[in-house]
Order: sequence, then C-alpha cells, then structure tokens
Amino acid sequence: MLDTISAGAAQDAAQLGWTGVVRFLHLTPRAFLPMRAAETITLVAGKGIEGDRYMIGKEEGFYSHKPEEGRQVTLFELETLVALKRDAGIELGPEEHRRNVTVEGVPLNHLVGRRFWLGETLLEATRLSVPCRHIEEITGKAIFDPLINRSGLNCKILQGGIVRVGDTVRNAA
Amino acid sequence: MSARPITTVKTVVTGIEEAGAGIKLFMLADPDRWELPPFKPGAHIDLHLPNGLVRTYSLCNEPADNTRYVIAVKREADGRGGSRALHDEIGIGDVIGVSLPRGGLEPEARIARYVFLAGGIGVTPFLSMARHLERTKQADFTLHLIVREEVPLATHLGALVEEGRIIVHRTSRTGRPDLAALVGEGGSETMVACCGPESMTHDFERVTAAWPAASVHIERFIAPPPVIDPDAKPFTLSLARSGAEIEVRAGQTMLAALQEGGIDIATSCCGGICGACKVGWIEGKPVHRDRILSPYERERYLMVCVAGSDAERLVLDL
Repeated sequence: MLDTISAGAAQDAAQLGWTGVVRFLHLTPRAFLPMRAAETITLVAGKGIEGDRYMIGKEEGFYSHKPEEGRQVTLFELETLVALKRDAGIELGPEEHRRNVTVEGVPLNHLVGRRFWLGETLLEATRLSVPCRHIEEITGKAIFDPLINRSGLNCKILQGGIVRVGDTVRNAA
Repeated sequence: MSARPITTVKTVVTGIEEAGAGIKLFMLADPDRWELPPFKPGAHIDLHLPNGLVRTYSLCNEPADNTRYVIAVKREADGRGGSRALHDEIGIGDVIGVSLPRGGLEPEARIARYVFLAGGIGVTPFLSMARHLERTKQADFTLHLIVREEVPLATHLGALVEEGRIIVHRTSRTGRPDLAALVGEGGSETMVACCGPESMTHDFERVTAAWPAASVHIERFIAPPPVIDPDAKPFTLSLARSGAEIEVRAGQTMLAALQEGGIDIATSCCGGICGACKVGWIEGKPVHRDRILSPYERERYLMVCVAGSDAERLVLDL
C-alpha cells in the first residue's frame, strides 16, 4: 500500500498543487572549493552541469569515486535555509549547502521518482540527498543533524538547456 | 572519475620567489584560478607533496587574496625532507594537494590592539595578520620579531619595519628579549599571539599564564587536538575474514582506524544515517550510535563511522 503514491485523480491533484521558482544557482569545478553563484547554468542531458564537479566524464567532486547517475544536478529548498535560521539559529547561505539549485515553493521530498521542469530543462528525481560530515568540515557549522530529511534532491537530466535565476519549476504531468 | 575519494584541495604552483635567507615563497592556486577555500588570517595548510611527505606551512597572504595560498618555506638542510623537496624538486606547474586551512585568528571587534611575538620564520602567520589589519584598519598591532641576526622575508617586512609596526630583536646583538616586557600588561582589548620554536612558545605560555584565555593565542603547526570523550577507551578490531588486527585509538572512529589500516570501506554521510558503511559484527560489545539500524539489525551489524566498543576486542565480518 505504501510502495507508491495514489494514482488517478489524487495524483493529478497532488501534482497540480505547486509551482516553484529558481532562487539561486551555484557550481564549483572541484571538491572543497567554494561554490560560485551564477545567473545561468547549462544542463547537459545525461551528464551534468557545464563546469560543475559532478559533470559525468569530468568528475572531480568529493563523491566522484562513487559514480551516481542521479547526481547530475542537485536541488535544495530555500525554505530549509529559513527554517535553519528560525529553528536552530544557524545562518546558512545558499552558497554553503553545496547543492546546485536553490528553489522556493518546490516540495522536493515529494518528488523522488517523479519528473519535473526546471525552467526549460526536464529532470527526474532519483533520491533524497543525505547530509554528510564533509559539509560541516567545509562550513565549520554544525548542520548535519538539522539537515536530516531536508538535505535536498538528486536528479538526472532528461532534457538539457539553460536554467536561469527566476525560472519556474513545475511538475511534468 | 577517480577510484579513491578526493581528500585534498588540488592546487598548482603558479609562482616561486626567492626571498633571501634560504627562503622561497610558493604561490599555489586552483588550476582554473577559482576561489580557494577561505581562511582566517595566519591560518596554515598541510601540503601533500608528490613524494608522499605531508608538511604544514602558514599562509602568509591575507584572506581577501582568495585565489591563492602563499607559503614561505625555509630550506632546512638537516630537516625531515619537506623543505628540501619543495626547494629542490618542485617547479612551476606542479600539482600539490593541500588540506583545508586550519587555525589562524579571527579578528574580533572587541580587540583594539594586537601584540604578536614571532621567532624567525614563525613570522609567516603574522605577515598574513599584519596585511589583513593594515588593510582593514580594524585594530592596532605591533609585531616583535625575534631573530638571531638575519631577518626572514626582509623585502616583504621592510615597509612595516620602517613604519615601526615590526620591531626586530637580534639575539646575536642584544640577547633574548624579556617576553613579559614585550607583551606588557594586557587587558580585555588586547590580544597577544605567538608563533616560534617550542622554547619560545613555552616562555610565552608562562608569561601569559594569568591572562584570560580568550586574549592569548599560540599558532602551532599541528591540527587542533580532537575533543575526546573522557570515557573513550582504545580497543582492538579483529577482522574475521582477513585475520588482521587493527587498533582503534581512544576517540578515533572505527572507520578512520580501518582506513588507516588500508581497509577499503564504503562511506557517504560519516554521521550514522546513510547506511553506506554497514559492517557485520561477530563477537564483542558494540556501542551503536547510528540512527538507522533496528534493534534486530544491531544484533548483526554496526555502522563503522560512528559505532564504538564496550569491550577491548570486537570481531568484524571483514
């Protein structure tokens, strides 16, 4: 019963329930280096983000020794940054969580296994991200525990293109 | 893709400068000149040299200069080999992995005056701090540089010496200065910091023993001591399949001990929630600190990234 979400009308209602927006874009070419903000990023289908450390074929990320198809692009909720400050008193910037795309109004935890549009690109969510101690080492902030279950979403890129700050995020029916 | 995890920041040598007195400055940058991980004034990094040696050097540029790490290395002919390798074998374009920066001194608003005591090449972290304070005008500072005769990095320090911000004490002429007189009375708005040979830092600790701890800083070229649970005890891992015995130090994780022992363990979160490092255990009293194994699973498995042992010996199915 709990292996899948409802089909039919209930699923349609769930999918129509949100539309989000891209607030920040970040990438970095190598493990440990600071994430740099970008106004646009270029997603390549089946590969990753141009210039990012997890681009398949050019991998230089902290987890690159563990290949994963769904790490082509990663997303994070702006609402989590707000909650961290509100509930834990921790100020974490969108450049510090080390995911590529910070979105607002997108229920990332509901999207595993689903397809959705990120601007003109089409993504398929493969799994939830988990926090790692590595990020505490880099940021010097105790964020491992507060990020459990809201550490973002790993996706593969089905249809590439350019993603811009301000782009709409919406479900792919 | 690499088969092993990336554990260092990749840098290339973009410049080497002779700085006199057997010292060379090495400029390290990202291959694409990307910003490097940030650091506090006076922080240090480990260099993982191509010959396998790991050596620690202070950064002597300031944090705002964020696309390079500059280190000053004095060639020690009778040293352990790190400085010789850098001076004799490293050239422009060579790739060197470095650690994330550690240590250094975060300038605090409450501090109006810094007194730095440096012994010889121990001046390097304070060069970073001096540059930072000069530019930001955040606080006043005096740097007492104690040398036998020759001033290291003379061309880089010259202007500050002329301005009176650096006071050079030559022990060959005037003997060892009285550190208590140099640090003065102190006060809540004064911070004193020292970097130099061990005898000097010992003396410094003695003369500042009565100062509030928050006003005293010693820059040491070692990793900060890990915070070890006072109840933590060392134990031995016996690996049932390979027959290997691996010692786990008090406060060390099993994961770190296994990796030191050359055992390849899959890891991901390193915090006991992802399950990547699940290993079977056969005999002993594991202390489970993960947040995912059920009571039933805990009778058979543990997570080596966080688990401990209540007995002196723990047998793993490895």
